[in-house]
Amino acid sequence: MKLLLAEDEPDVQLIARLSLKRAGFEVVTVNNGLEVLDRVGPEAPDAILLDWMMPDMDGFETCMRLKADPATKDIPVIFLTAKVQESEVAKALALGAIGCIGKPFDALTLGQQVLTILGK
Amino acid sequence: MSLRGRIFAVIGIMVAATLVQALAVGWFESRRKASNDAMMRAETRFEHQTRMNRVVVELEFEQRSYLLTGLPEFRAEFDRRWTEYVSLPTVLAGYIDDEKDKLALTRLDQQLKQWYALACDSMNRRTQLTDLALVVRDQTAPPMRRIQNELDTNQRHDLALLSEKVTTASDLNFRNALVTLALPAFDIVMLLVLVALLARILLDPLAAVAESARQISGGNFDVRLPPDKRDEIGALVRAFRDMSSAVQRRQHDLTDALVREREISQMYAELRTNAEQESARLQATIATVPAALVIMEAPSGRVVLQNAAADMLIGREPDEEGDRQRYWESFRASYRDGRQCPAEDWGPRRALRGEVTVGQELIVKPRDGRTIPILVSAAPLRNDLGAITGAVAAFQDITNLYEVDRLKSEFVSIVSHELRTPLTSIKGSLQLLVTDVPMPDPDHRVLMHVALSNTDRLIRIINDILDISKIEAGKLELNPRPFDVHELVHLSLQSVGQIATGSSVALVHVVPKDIPKINADPDRTIQAIVNLLSNALKYAPPRSEVTLDVTQTPAGFVTFAITDRGTGIPADKLSLLFKKFQQIDGADTRKFRGTGLGLAITKALVEAQGGSVGVISEKGKGSTFSITVPVAR
Repeated sequence: MKLLLAEDEPDVQLIARLSLKRAGFEVVTVNNGLEVLDRVGPEAPDAILLDWMMPDMDGFETCMRLKADPATKDIPVIFLTAKVQESEVAKALALGAIGCIGKPFDALTLGQQVLTILGK
Repeated sequence: MSLRGRIFAVIGIMVAATLVQALAVGWFESRRKASNDAMMRAETRFEHQTRMNRVVVELEFEQRSYLLTGLPEFRAEFDRRWTEYVSLPTVLAGYIDDEKDKLALTRLDQQLKQWYALACDSMNRRTQLTDLALVVRDQTAPPMRRIQNELDTNQRHDLALLSEKVTTASDLNFRNALVTLALPAFDIVMLLVLVALLARILLDPLAAVAESARQISGGNFDVRLPPDKRDEIGALVRAFRDMSSAVQRRQHDLTDALVREREISQMYAELRTNAEQESARLQATIATVPAALVIMEAPSGRVVLQNAAADMLIGREPDEEGDRQRYWESFRASYRDGRQCPAEDWGPRRALRGEVTVGQELIVKPRDGRTIPILVSAAPLRNDLGAITGAVAAFQDITNLYEVDRLKSEFVSIVSHELRTPLTSIKGSLQLLVTDVPMPDPDHRVLMHVALSNTDRLIRIINDILDISKIEAGKLELNPRPFDVHELVHLSLQSVGQIATGSSVALVHVVPKDIPKINADPDRTIQAIVNLLSNALKYAPPRSEVTLDVTQTPAGFVTFAITDRGTGIPADKLSLLFKKFQQIDGADTRKFRGTGLGLAITKALVEAQGGSVGVISEKGKGSTFSITVPVAR
């Protein structure tokens, strides 16, 4: 299963990548929303993990663009966010995301959480 | 004696004098008349006497003539003369007042009658011519001589009498004429005297009073008033004196009043100056205080005083009434949560109704389109009677506070994010290392766990700080919904499972089967219960029991009671438990690591959901912490 992980913080990106890889995912990492839009076509991931706050283009706008593009609108989007407040989650879900994982995430169970959200 | 009496007395004297005068005149007149009458009588007496004398002379003449001639005419004439004579003595007697004279007349008459007898006799004899000698020797002559002498005497007497009477009458007439002439002069003199008298009685005191009045009107109250008599003038003088003293008194009063008035004026001027200074000070103060101040009059709410700060903050209401109303109708104020603040809840309006408003937080949108958060404080102004005469309102622009608040929230959010990002990396790295990397030296594994547990602790502290800052900022967001208590308990126990693992403390829970669903934010309620359970596990002595009892209260709440068998909490510390950064003592802090925020957060989370927290503790026996959550409807 191929995941596109967008995270601007290199260390967090590394941990998340290792954690997901450990859970058996194939992980492609990018550093911001613009790169997500660039790579989503060629990589054709099974799901996208978006950090909420990123430079250049944040997760919010990236998600809107993904959902606005017929080619990408069916790819499930999961947010990684420090803002675990209900309103933020609700906002994310309203944009078409299927779930939200709070930061700091648990490196040992991140993969499991993603699978749970994806319903696998 | 009264003045009227005196005037009447004077008039009486005048009347009396006039009467006396009239009587005197009458008396003089009667005297004069009597005298004139007496004179007339004397004249008539004299005439009759004279006639008698003539008749007697003629009688003798006729008798002698007859005796000489014997002519009968003489005899006839004689008889005629006698006839004339006979009545005369009687007539004359009527005019004689003197009795002696009357007797003399009577004697004379008798003598004459004797003479007459003799005369007749002699004449008779002549007629017979018997004795001529008789003629010669007339015996009648001697008596006749005496008679005639006496008659002459009488006539002279009468004449003297007449003369005397005439003199008397003439004297009296002259005197009466004099009196008649003198009387008017006397009257004039008397009148003058009376007038002078009246003037003295009436005018002098009046003039004195008038003089006094003039003096008093000139301001001299020390005038000597006429002596106090018991008459009208006296009464006038008394009245005048009363009036004078009254005027004097009043003048004194007036002077006093003037003095007082001057003092009052001075006082008033001072007060006025003070008030003006006070007012100027107040105005200057109002003008310069940074707070926006507005003073309104009741009941219209028209602004009577507004300082520059208020002008800048809420603008200035127009002067025209219509414009003024439209201004306030278009004036918008809302609560912090965005709801429109109705006009009647606007602080100044409440003040006009008599309510005091302190720190009403509103967001106003003046006409210029700005949005300004303000604190409104307003109070009614009352007069001495307590009636509302206006209101004073102060508006504080709290834009800066909002900005600070926003910055604080932002700071907290940034800090927490910035702290949690590296912690996420550290924790993730440690977890992956501990799980995946074989460590032959057990010390290394222990060190790895120390690093991991301290990372967890750091994350918990950051979460607590974030929570408390959200709670304090009023930004705690809750999503209450009906939730199953069994699931809630299960999730809570699962959360604390990690802590309980490896501990000798047993965790027991009792949940009735028929417990109803609660209306609560599940995550936050679990957080509250977990906080209490973690505390209980921390403080419970080894091999003891911590129990979670869930019960339903009749008031429509579900109670979660967590009991430990720990050391208990002193009664005087119970009230501090739910405050921030409170732990029972420093040793506890070191022994049972924590931020001291857990109970404060728990309390805030529970109360925000309409529930409550409670604690019962007994030193040495343990404590029971409980929270209540409303049952779902």
